[in-house]
Amino acid sequence: MAEIQLLRVPKWGLSMEEGTIALWLIEEGDDFAEGQEVCEIETSKIANVMEAPFAGRLHRIVAHPGDTLPVQAVIAVVAPAGVDESEIEAVLAAEGSVDALSDEDKSTYRLPLEPAAETATGDASQSVAARADVGELSIPESLKGVTSDDVFASPRAYRFAVAQGLDLSYVVGTGRAGRISMSDIRSAVRTAGGTLPSPPSAPCATALPASNVDDEEIEATPVARRLAKAWGIALAACRPTGRHGRVCKADVEAARSRAGAPEPERGNAQKAAAAPKEAAAPANPGIAVPMTGMRRTIAARLSQSKLDSPHFRVAVDVQVDAIAALRKQINAEHPGVKISVNDFVIKAVAMALVRHPNCNIQFDGDVIQQFEHADVSVAVAMEAGLITPILRAADTKSLVAISTEMRQLATKAKASTLTPEEFQGGTFTISNLGMFGVSQFDAIINPPQAAILAVGGAREEVRFVGGEPAPITLMNLNMASDHRVIDGALAAEFLQSVKRNLESPIVMLAGEV
Amino acid sequence: MGARVAYDVAVVGGGPGGYVAAIRATQLGLDVVLIEEKHLGGICLNWGCIPTKALLKGAEVAHTLGSAAHFGFSVSDWDFDLARLVKHSRDVSSRLSSGIEFLMKKNKVTVIDARARIIAKERLALAHQDGSATEISAKHIILATGARPRPVPGVQPDGEHIWTYFEAMTPAALPDSLLVIGSGAIGVEFASFYNDMGVDVTLVEALDQLLPNEDPEVATLVSRSMGKRGIECLAATRVEGTSVEESGVVCTLIDKDGERSQRHFERVLLAAGVVANSDDLGLEALGIETDRSFIRADQWCRTNLVGIYAIGDVSGPPCLAHKASHEAIVCVEHLAGVPDVHPIDKQTVPGCTYCRPQIASMGMTEKTARENGRRIRVGRFDLQANGKALAMADSEGFVKVIFDELSGELLGAHMVGPEVTEQLQGFGVAHSLEATVEDLAHNMFAHPTISEAMHEAVLDAQGRVIHA
Repeated sequence: MAEIQLLRVPKWGLSMEEGTIALWLIEEGDDFAEGQEVCEIETSKIANVMEAPFAGRLHRIVAHPGDTLPVQAVIAVVAPAGVDESEIEAVLAAEGSVDALSDEDKSTYRLPLEPAAETATGDASQSVAARADVGELSIPESLKGVTSDDVFASPRAYRFAVAQGLDLSYVVGTGRAGRISMSDIRSAVRTAGGTLPSPPSAPCATALPASNVDDEEIEATPVARRLAKAWGIALAACRPTGRHGRVCKADVEAARSRAGAPEPERGNAQKAAAAPKEAAAPANPGIAVPMTGMRRTIAARLSQSKLDSPHFRVAVDVQVDAIAALRKQINAEHPGVKISVNDFVIKAVAMALVRHPNCNIQFDGDVIQQFEHADVSVAVAMEAGLITPILRAADTKSLVAISTEMRQLATKAKASTLTPEEFQGGTFTISNLGMFGVSQFDAIINPPQAAILAVGGAREEVRFVGGEPAPITLMNLNMASDHRVIDGALAAEFLQSVKRNLESPIVMLAGEV
Repeated sequence: MGARVAYDVAVVGGGPGGYVAAIRATQLGLDVVLIEEKHLGGICLNWGCIPTKALLKGAEVAHTLGSAAHFGFSVSDWDFDLARLVKHSRDVSSRLSSGIEFLMKKNKVTVIDARARIIAKERLALAHQDGSATEISAKHIILATGARPRPVPGVQPDGEHIWTYFEAMTPAALPDSLLVIGSGAIGVEFASFYNDMGVDVTLVEALDQLLPNEDPEVATLVSRSMGKRGIECLAATRVEGTSVEESGVVCTLIDKDGERSQRHFERVLLAAGVVANSDDLGLEALGIETDRSFIRADQWCRTNLVGIYAIGDVSGPPCLAHKASHEAIVCVEHLAGVPDVHPIDKQTVPGCTYCRPQIASMGMTEKTARENGRRIRVGRFDLQANGKALAMADSEGFVKVIFDELSGELLGAHMVGPEVTEQLQGFGVAHSLEATVEDLAHNMFAHPTISEAMHEAVLDAQGRVIHA
């Protein structure tokens, strides 16, 4: 018993809740060393290679490419050769009964407990067949060369390129920030007319999980393109037989059946079907309102934020008569924009962030990341919750550019058409409830950011100037900061800068001095 | 009620541009208000596309009765009640208009019966039918106020003797004679209708070619066909003045040689194009740019003023319902950030005219293609050689296709004949999928159909037509 160990879905970040197996890099029966790369796992944010946390022999793969599993779920069994299968079943069964998943989650992420089809003999013959099908490795001349060591590529892709004499500068990276992955190499080799044996693993690896492969340049009929996307088939992996060498519907279907067609429905359908449990007719019956994905994210992130970061608040009243007048003037002069008070706040905050780089940060608990430019997140209310689209490098943008971009981002947020790049990241958040008649409020920091500014509505007050009552318009700014990385004096200085920018907007025109 | 005053999107005008924009924006999760002054459905549904099709169906029945002898029927004793045909036409309109009302409810679009005017960025003043006035604000304001008949100097519609399409669509009685001014789709359809109903019709066109937007071959065949039916077609002829009398209208016509003539008609229909309904929207005060009454908009239907958009007829020709609906989708999806939105190519907006024989066309005429310096291949096929058309005894017409020689792309398609308006979509799909001449040739067309002529025309462009 003691010799049986389990490989589990690792947790790669605060927000990581589940991962999808993209590819196994070793086969059942292989010995591996601690730290060796064993499989590729994709999350909603990144695709990464999992390194073995210990050494051993891969006995059985439990989670296959395409399976999505929660963090800590078992993906493979590690055991010496000749281990008793019944012992393994016992370990897996125990795992199934004691793991921390809720009932609902279990139905979603049910582990395949029955032995997979590929036991010893069957597996060997299938692997051979798969290899024969794909053919020999041949790198086209056009891709050959020496890869320089500054190419941005996954470790595996880089090692492969060096070993095979392939120049990665010819390969287009489609990963995050243009990182080149093995699948990019594969499609480049195929596009250039070469062949590349699929990784030795389960036969379904012959079809590339294609979600991150750029298929734009592959000629295909519209129907084929759509099916390929729906089924996660790389068009590059299809043999084009259509007219003019285009990939047609039949080619995608063929590629799909070669891959061993996955079941059309997985997970979510069952999850949706799982009816909420009802109590026996209470006097005031409640309705179980399902949590949307957005609601879950808000819930998880903000309670984490309150737990991890000691919030403290600094508030200031800002006189906004000057920006009100300026705003009126710009809007009257310029047909192409309608500047809001919030646009001024974004600009003022962005400039203050650059002036106080200690506030322009992200903090993950260990490392403080300081940024050159201010990527300002702005909270936008939606029916389903809220989202914070980002004005990138807002310190470098004109008021008009900020206003135009903000208008588009706000509408996109409401129409749910924001792309992840448009709302993930950010170095500081602004939340404005002024339009709801709120005079002041406080907000919770959006990690890994370290501060958030709550902006209230403008209100008229009377101030005595030289003994005479004069009307002035004030607006409350309330900043919550993470005391682990921002101290009270720093927050106060930062707010002073924001206040100065807003009360003397001419300063913003002049630029940072 | 707790009336809201702030919306994401306000649509002004409830025609095929406006109501489609409202539905699409709601589908995308935006808060939408639709402001319509008169009838949901706009001109298309109430006074245009749809009710004229109802009348033209009546004209077709009249024509069928007249040609029944060809099929062995002798129909001698029949009677016609104009009021019932007009009622059918109105019934269809009101049914569809309430259908739009239902669609608005179903999609939870707030509809306000009012006239709207832009008073500032993101701000509309509404004049309600009960005389009250309110204001609303919207981040995005889409103007879809349509167009109306273009006035011609010396021809003043009076609702009695000198008509626009409103009166032509609801005649109390058939006149003995009718002068139709303008040979665009509206003029030609009414000329065809009144001729089939037994009215003595004269059709004048100021430009050199009847149906000036169509390929000359189309214009030639249709003018010839209408001439044979007894419609007097006068190209390059203008109406200089009119004087209304008890018995009708005396019109002064100037022909291409500058010769003046005085002609008497019982009724005159003014159908010389349209102008945009852009005058009372508050455009000028805000500096929103226009071009001869039409609001200037870019490929995403944006005007020069932030948050103001213009779609459909009010944003310029071609003034067609399907162009308005398509622009509505493009405009809304673009402002909402939907990926993969493509601007409209105004060159390829299809056009249909429901005269007899019908006309359907899209893309370039042969002339414009050559003027663009393209090397082209042209294919033609006459319906005289189409079995189905002969069987229907309705073989007047042809299909003409224009391909780019280099790319094989379909540049234009021009069709005349029975139900060609239903067949044109085939070419439209092929064009939008960038099918080549070979793709179309390779496609199997069902037999026996009139649309086989489309296939033959394509084969002709490749020099391998079978049945001609």
